[in-house]
Amino acid sequence: MFELVPHIINGLTLGLLFALIALGFTLIVGVMEVINLAHGAMFALGAYFAMTTIGGGWFGGTEFGQWWLTLPIGTRYAIGVIVGPLMAAGAGMILELCLRPTYGKAPLYGLLLTFGAALVIEEIIRLSWGTGEQSLPVPQAINGAFFMGGLIFSKYKFFAAGFAIIAIFGVWAFLEKTPYGAIIKAGAHDSEMVRALGYDLSKLRLLVFGFGAALAGLAGTVMAPIWGLRPHIGIDVIIPAFLIIVVGGVGSFWGAVIAAVLVGLSVGITGAYAPAWSMLSMYLLLIAIVGFRARGLLGRKSALEN
Amino acid sequence: MPMITLSDIPARGGSPFTPAMGVFLLALSTAPFWLPAVGLYQYLGIEVAIWLIFALGFNLLFGYIGLHSFGHGAYLGIGAYAFGLFQQEIAVSLWGGLLAAISAATIAGGIVAAFISHRRGIYYALMTIAFGQIFWFCAIKLHGVTGGEDGLLGIPRPDFVLGPIRFSLADNTSLYWFSAVLLALVAIGLWRLVNAPFGRVLQAIRQNETRARFVGYDVWRIKWLTFTLSAAFAGLAGGLFSMAQESAYPDVMSLHQSGLIVMMILVGGGLVSFWGPVLGVILYFVARDVIGGITETWLLWFGLMFVIMVMSRPEGIAGLIHVARTRLGHAPAGRSAPKPTEV
Repeated sequence: MFELVPHIINGLTLGLLFALIALGFTLIVGVMEVINLAHGAMFALGAYFAMTTIGGGWFGGTEFGQWWLTLPIGTRYAIGVIVGPLMAAGAGMILELCLRPTYGKAPLYGLLLTFGAALVIEEIIRLSWGTGEQSLPVPQAINGAFFMGGLIFSKYKFFAAGFAIIAIFGVWAFLEKTPYGAIIKAGAHDSEMVRALGYDLSKLRLLVFGFGAALAGLAGTVMAPIWGLRPHIGIDVIIPAFLIIVVGGVGSFWGAVIAAVLVGLSVGITGAYAPAWSMLSMYLLLIAIVGFRARGLLGRKSALEN
Repeated sequence: MPMITLSDIPARGGSPFTPAMGVFLLALSTAPFWLPAVGLYQYLGIEVAIWLIFALGFNLLFGYIGLHSFGHGAYLGIGAYAFGLFQQEIAVSLWGGLLAAISAATIAGGIVAAFISHRRGIYYALMTIAFGQIFWFCAIKLHGVTGGEDGLLGIPRPDFVLGPIRFSLADNTSLYWFSAVLLALVAIGLWRLVNAPFGRVLQAIRQNETRARFVGYDVWRIKWLTFTLSAAFAGLAGGLFSMAQESAYPDVMSLHQSGLIVMMILVGGGLVSFWGPVLGVILYFVARDVIGGITETWLLWFGLMFVIMVMSRPEGIAGLIHVARTRLGHAPAGRSAPKPTEV
């Protein structure tokens, strides 16, 4: 049993990171009933912009670039963690403007439009950053490994998991404890009533989309040092996010978090016995859970079912 | 202008001899003669024919019954592997290989359909993604059977044998003729099918599943059958694909490829016309070759075109043609019955 402990810890951290990826996705699905297949692309965009910010790549040999590189990496990393999500948010808002003609039509069209957008963004990434595998540098303080109970752990994974916990509670507090969150949730519940009460729904949608995309970009920035950066990482990321939403139930915040931890644990534990097949376990989990509970763990009825 | 659907374009009875079918068969039977003349090449014809078989069968599911599968590349891949394994492990035989491809894809599709046929909407789409990913994952990981990421290499192109007739399919022109004949049969067969009562039932289910059930149709069985049938067509296309490529590899099973086929169908207008997938597939491959010849990033431009299409005219090219014809007054006037509301 003791041999399983590191795998369970790995699974837990992975689950928390999955939850971070799925947060923005579930927000957009819940409020706007749009399956945003470009969520993975936002993830990638955020990570690439953060990498460029930290490395100072685009400033090159200019004076500003020289000065930039003299800053300690910790500062540059902190700025990168802000810039990445902001750029992703901008891209998300542009995408929302493009999505407007599809509102009121079958959900299929929103899904397809975001799929097309994901292709376009992936190609733009290829154009701007090249096709090779790249890495995002992290400060010394959170790099490397440490020992605990005779086992070796990566410091960064723990940092990322802690970051994910903070982000999860932050988003939860935002949705539950602030008036903005109340409006967003009301918009998900009954958009016409929200409009009748005098709130600008199109601005609300723009902001929610931007916020969701920023969360994707943040997840990308935090995950990139673990998973590496390649142009098609968006597609690799969207699948677990998707799965988690369905297992957790469309539109349910805690459903998504619980599902993410479950998926992480199942991947981590199968990794102990059959490492090559560990990713398969999440699909089996999906089929097992959705086979019995049609709307996932905590799902409620949604227009997307029709 | 309200959106049109497949049901708004009246079917011309069950007769396969419509002007569109005539144009299609004419283009199919003359392609080898004009393809090189317009700067394209023979192999493109094969590729288009194979993807057309796949797309026409898939549109039975996607357009007609309105079940949105995003994992259909898996069945094409299963067909391709089954064909290759049959050649390598059992016997070098054209009909045996194609039969193996079709039956493998049909069985896989039948099993998956049994799991998902009681689902609707987005949950249906998600389950098809999950199953598609499982097959793709297995194709990559089962090195012993599928050759892992490299796939099966060196699959032979068996001779065509039918009674006393025997000729080689090793060169691209003869393989084109073989694929084209199969495609013509598939197109005529599917045209008959969608204009038969069965096709009307599919559209009834798309418009309102609950109502179709109340009228007395066994909706679960029809959904199961349609998925399995479209998987069978994908299997046939897969068998031809592994013959054309002389290999089978997991890439065609990825989510990316399954999404591309959906894109092709939508751009062409598979949601509004039987011929939509044909237009979409041709546009995709010609765009790949023509734009791809100019710039490396052709997918960027194709993706942008697709995004603009979904934003402005989601009915695709076939929808555009229909609108143009209605404006010019040539099309048979749309039925005066009120438009069914899509639910």
